[in-house]
Amino acid sequence: MADTAPATTTSPTSRAVSRPVSEALLNEKWDRCFSNLIIKSSLGLGFGVVFSVLLFKRRAWPAFVGVGFGAGRAYEECNSSLKQAAKEIRKQA
Amino acid sequence: MLRTSIRSVRALGSRPAAAVAGRQWQASAARRAVVSGQRFYADDKKPVVDEAKLPAAETLTAPTTPPPPPPQTTPAATITPEQAPLTPPAPGPAVVPPPPPPVAPIVPKKKGFFRRLRNFLLKLVLLGVLGFGGGVWYSRINDNFHDFFTQYVPYGEEAVLYLEELDFRKRFPNVANRVTGRRADTASEQVSIPAQSGASWRVADGDHAGRQSSGVAQKVVAAKDAVKDTVKDIVKPEPAAVTKAKKETAALPKVEAKDAALEKKVKGVEEKKEVAVIPAAATSSKPKEFRAPDVNEPSVWPPASPIDPLSVPHADDAIVQQLVHMLNDIITVINYDGAADKYSQTIWKAKDEVSKVGERILSIKSAAEEEAAKQVKARIDSFDKHANDLVSRLEAIMLAQEQQWRQEFEAEVERLKHNYDDKIKLIQEREQKLSEQKLQNKLLEQAVELQRQFSRDIKKHVEEEREGRLGRIESLSRAVSELEKLTTGLNEVVDTNLRTQQLHVAVEAVRASLEDAHHPRPFIKELVALKEIAADDPVVDAAIASIHPSAYQRGISTSAELIDRFRRVAAEVRKASLLPEDAGVASHASSYLLSKVMFKKQGLAAGDDVESILTRTQTFLEEGDLDNAAREMNTLGGWAKTLSRDWLSEVRKVLEVQQALDVITTEARLQSLKVE
Repeated sequence: MADTAPATTTSPTSRAVSRPVSEALLNEKWDRCFSNLIIKSSLGLGFGVVFSVLLFKRRAWPAFVGVGFGAGRAYEECNSSLKQAAKEIRKQA
Repeated sequence: MLRTSIRSVRALGSRPAAAVAGRQWQASAARRAVVSGQRFYADDKKPVVDEAKLPAAETLTAPTTPPPPPPQTTPAATITPEQAPLTPPAPGPAVVPPPPPPVAPIVPKKKGFFRRLRNFLLKLVLLGVLGFGGGVWYSRINDNFHDFFTQYVPYGEEAVLYLEELDFRKRFPNVANRVTGRRADTASEQVSIPAQSGASWRVADGDHAGRQSSGVAQKVVAAKDAVKDTVKDIVKPEPAAVTKAKKETAALPKVEAKDAALEKKVKGVEEKKEVAVIPAAATSSKPKEFRAPDVNEPSVWPPASPIDPLSVPHADDAIVQQLVHMLNDIITVINYDGAADKYSQTIWKAKDEVSKVGERILSIKSAAEEEAAKQVKARIDSFDKHANDLVSRLEAIMLAQEQQWRQEFEAEVERLKHNYDDKIKLIQEREQKLSEQKLQNKLLEQAVELQRQFSRDIKKHVEEEREGRLGRIESLSRAVSELEKLTTGLNEVVDTNLRTQQLHVAVEAVRASLEDAHHPRPFIKELVALKEIAADDPVVDAAIASIHPSAYQRGISTSAELIDRFRRVAAEVRKASLLPEDAGVASHASSYLLSKVMFKKQGLAAGDDVESILTRTQTFLEEGDLDNAAREMNTLGGWAKTLSRDWLSEVRKVLEVQQALDVITTEARLQSLKVE
């Protein structure tokens, strides 16, 4: 979260809205990854809780498993996006 | 004809003429009806076989109807046994005829033969009387039947004659008595006369002639009767006189028919006179002659020397000839008879009369001829006059026509001449006009040619003069143009000077606007002014074209801005400075963490790593060497380059603008140098 602040501050120029500035590209990706992690992990937590309530008599582990699944999926997505960006950079070079 | 003549011989005109006429009148009307009756009578007389029928019809008027039935029954009963085997196929004809004969005789026989005979006789007599009466009656109507009846039926003639007599007496009671009374005497005397005189047939002939012309005949008859009454004893001379008179009367009609209209009147008068005179003469002469034989004994002479036949000197006329001929006939007859002495006197007189008549006729003829000749002459004269008049008139008309025609001809000739003269005049006038027009045309052509020549000459002169002046004018204009060129050259120099000055001013203005601004702002106006001032200077144009359009649209960042932004970019680049080539999340996180721990370099640090490059660029920037700083930054690769891309482009823009401005300033300087 600390990285996002300078990114917002560096965008007093109105044109940053339309197209991100080149130095903010990596920060943006990080922001996406974090948000993705939170959403997915919360989703997994939700599923896990529901499962734990319905099937597993309010056990804790289904919830953690769900969070794990969500976090794992977010991580993977972030990784792939970063690698894709790297590939593109290489292509451009 | 034969019948009448015979009858007249027998009865000497006793036969009434009226009766004959009446018979003829009624004949045509009653012929048909009588013919049928006559036939019936003829059939009735001859066949006596009809006796059987007649009594049967009369006696059995009442019982005729009853008898038929019994005979049919009786023969059937009686005949069947007798003739049955002989003729069975044809019983009708065989059976029917036989019954009447036996039945008819059976009935009258019973009544008595004498009675039947008496009846028959009575009927016969009755029919005979009826037939005779009818015959007599019909003979009065039909002539043919009259002949037949009088010839073949006994006592028929007498009965018919008697009836006619009765009829005649009824109609003419006075005449009939006389005629009848006298007839007996004349008939007795006539028998003795005809041998001597032979005048009897003449009388008949005269009678016949008299019949044809009824008017004359009646008169003659009347005269005859009178003569007969008066002179009963002397018969011989009478017929002669009568014949003479009759001859004349008979001849008269012929004369009438033959002669012309002029003579007709005269003759008619004469005839009347004669007709009137003749009976008187006859009456008068007859007593004289009667006396002559008494007195003259030596009149034996005349018989010895018979009367000379009459000879008229001028017997050309047909009438006279006829008269003479008749008289001669009489004379011959008299001579033949030897009674010349008796009639010499009368004959002489007659001769005289005839000769007188002849003379008179001749005189009349001659008079008529003279008159005719006169008339003819007068006519001829008149015709001649008329002809002469006509000829003269025709000649006059011809002359008039000729004169008229001649006048017309002359008038026509004059008219034609006039026409021709007019035509000739017209033609001459036209020819004259034509010739005049031709001459005029020629004159006009000549005039036109002269005018053309004159104009050509004038043109030549004018052009010559013009060329001379024009040459001078051209030289003048050349001189003027040269002067103009000179002036323009001077003007150009002045203009270029002005332009270069303006260019300088413009470039300075652009530079001032760039340096002046604390914030980036567009400098399009300045550039446009510069371009206009440059006025299609290729170098200026190219310089302006090299500037990125976004640069002058948005303006270019200043060096302070660039340095500030570099600091931010450098921090980001340091974060990604340790990243491997195909970095994931983990490597990113590690490089981020590790970059915080890294040492910072100062000044122009040698090395190819990201940290040293960044420090070098920072130093260049601090020095104000944008060009080198950009070159250092451009050497980065990977994530670092991508992150510093924007900043680099900014720097490039600024550099481009600076370069373009430098070029323009040099160009302006060059221009100013050129002018000078």
